[in-house]
Amino acid sequence: MNDRMILVVDDETELLEMVRSIFMRAGFTQVLTVSSGEAALKVCKEKQPDMVILDVMMPGMDGFATLKELRKISKIPVLMLTARGEAEDKFAGFENGADDYLLKPFLPKELLFRVQAILKRAYPGKDRKVFFDTATVDLEKAMVQRNGESISLTAKEFQLFEKLYENAGRIVTTGALCQAICGDFWQGYESTLATHIRHLREKIEENPSKPIALVTIKGIGYRLNIKGAQT
Amino acid sequence: MNTSERFFRRYIFSTVRIIVLFLAVNALLVASYFVIAYLGNVATSKFPIEDFSNHIMATDGEFSADTQAKEMLNNFEAWAMILDDDGTVVWEENLPEELPRHYSSMDIAMFSRWYLDDYPTNIAKRQDGLLVIGLPPESVVNYYFSFKAQYIWPMLFGLTAVFCINIFLMIYLFIRNARRVEKAMAPILRGIRHLSVGKPVHLEETGELAEINAGLNKAGDYLLKKDNTRADWIRGISHDIRTPLSVILGYASEIEDTSSLPEAVRNQAGIIRRHSERLKDLVADLNLSTKLEYSMQPMQKQSLDPIELARQVVSEVLNDGLSEPYELELSEDNPGKNISILGDQVLLNRMLNNLIRNCIVHNPNGCKIQISVGSNDASCTFSVMDNGHGVSELQLNALNSDEDISSTQKQTDEAEHGLGLKIVRQIVKAHHGDVLFSGAIPHGLIVSIHLPMKL
Repeated sequence: MNDRMILVVDDETELLEMVRSIFMRAGFTQVLTVSSGEAALKVCKEKQPDMVILDVMMPGMDGFATLKELRKISKIPVLMLTARGEAEDKFAGFENGADDYLLKPFLPKELLFRVQAILKRAYPGKDRKVFFDTATVDLEKAMVQRNGESISLTAKEFQLFEKLYENAGRIVTTGALCQAICGDFWQGYESTLATHIRHLREKIEENPSKPIALVTIKGIGYRLNIKGAQT
Repeated sequence: MNTSERFFRRYIFSTVRIIVLFLAVNALLVASYFVIAYLGNVATSKFPIEDFSNHIMATDGEFSADTQAKEMLNNFEAWAMILDDDGTVVWEENLPEELPRHYSSMDIAMFSRWYLDDYPTNIAKRQDGLLVIGLPPESVVNYYFSFKAQYIWPMLFGLTAVFCINIFLMIYLFIRNARRVEKAMAPILRGIRHLSVGKPVHLEETGELAEINAGLNKAGDYLLKKDNTRADWIRGISHDIRTPLSVILGYASEIEDTSSLPEAVRNQAGIIRRHSERLKDLVADLNLSTKLEYSMQPMQKQSLDPIELARQVVSEVLNDGLSEPYELELSEDNPGKNISILGDQVLLNRMLNNLIRNCIVHNPNGCKIQISVGSNDASCTFSVMDNGHGVSELQLNALNSDEDISSTQKQTDEAEHGLGLKIVRQIVKAHHGDVLFSGAIPHGLIVSIHLPMKL
């Protein structure tokens, strides 16, 4: 994933430098920076980056206008950086086809997390695997390999696992998990979710009653602790 | 009854009192005029004709007046004559030349009631004739009243009725006028009340009080403009501060995470990072508070699950990394019960987040934070409780009173309660709920928020 080409667009050169430094330290090798919407469109046409991080407020062509133009020629994922923090920004960005937005000021780890999540979604690898102490989950085949045997995941279990994996190491709330499975009207699904979790644990945990990989955060939700991943 | 209604009622009563006083004073004045006139003998303009008659002697058909009689005539500048039964002047004194010396019974009938050639006359009957006194022209005015007896009472009654009707009409018109003024004033008073709570004012600039309405509109526009300028200013500042803060936050985090750097430098970078994060929160709070205060952000109301909302807030705080001395727990008062409220997800999220942050900021040595969500038929309750050192009774009272938290800031640690709790209160208010601060046992602070199920 770290060989993906990322284009960062902001009129503040020092901020550009900082963002580049964050990505370089995180192991990204191709980080391009430009300071205007027009230049961004040009670079997108010439070099076809894998992802664009776009500032909203820029002199000349602003972030929204750039995004609109960009969408005419490309579907590459875009993360909007906004300093306004107004609700309208969020909606205007999504309407124009932004994949996510991040409010300035941001913490480097927050930016990295968002970018990695977007890249993971946009460019799923061919041979994606998630490793645990005792099992490995093959995301392509929706199969769990444990002690030499293969166990398949049901559609619901797989949806659940994907949601947890996208947020690996972070707590995902019960509601968010229910929503991942059955959409916006999820109320009342909690007990069914608990059943799916139990089944998932039986497949990936050594001791499902004392889970290590898929832990319960009491009253809040669940967290997936992974050992490593191949994407 | 509000103040203005009371004012108008009092105004009408005072008007009635003024009318009564006016009548009483007039009655008194008329009465005193009559008393003075009576005492001063003003009314006796009449020539003392009987007395005068006694001073005229008739001996053998010859009349003679004594000096006293002549003096009386001179005093009044009057003349006198005596007519016999045929109307012929048989005696005269000062009688003007131009007047005839013989009168028909018709002449006598006329002048006895009115005038004799412009001379007002008085007459008296004597045994030997008719005594006529003529007074100087225009010295006396004669009026002659005559009524049919049967009309006297109806006329008196009519006069009283006219008088009363006039009085009532006057009072009615006064009240009507007062009401009209009151009616014209009502929108103005409403406008002033709106102004006092910061609502926009727009009054019709027509009618007699158009000038006042225009003035109020102008004042309202001015206040609105001022508010907008202030809000724009804050928005501008908070926008401009975000990019530099991103750079500070970014580099400080980088330095903090660079393991090759000396420990002390990394710690210092950590301090910069933490303070930058506080600044970041402050900027966000400032912006949101301004928007809420001037109602610039419309509420995005939606049906939401308050428990899931609390879960999200708690998970965000935990995912951001809660340091060791703090514990964060979430519980449901009625586990398994599905509840939904109507509210703004982003604002309510912010409300709970602020309360949790408040516990953390005010208990630097760590504490256990318990959040619980409960509900009954009408309302949903969020409660955030910590077992930290809590606040004093005085501070609790200040927090529970309605006064603006930010305006009560003193140079104490209280000040830090400022914006965060102010926003909590603004959000609760926007959701028509209420917030209560109380002390926990044995120590700590409990913040309970009740929100109505449906807005």
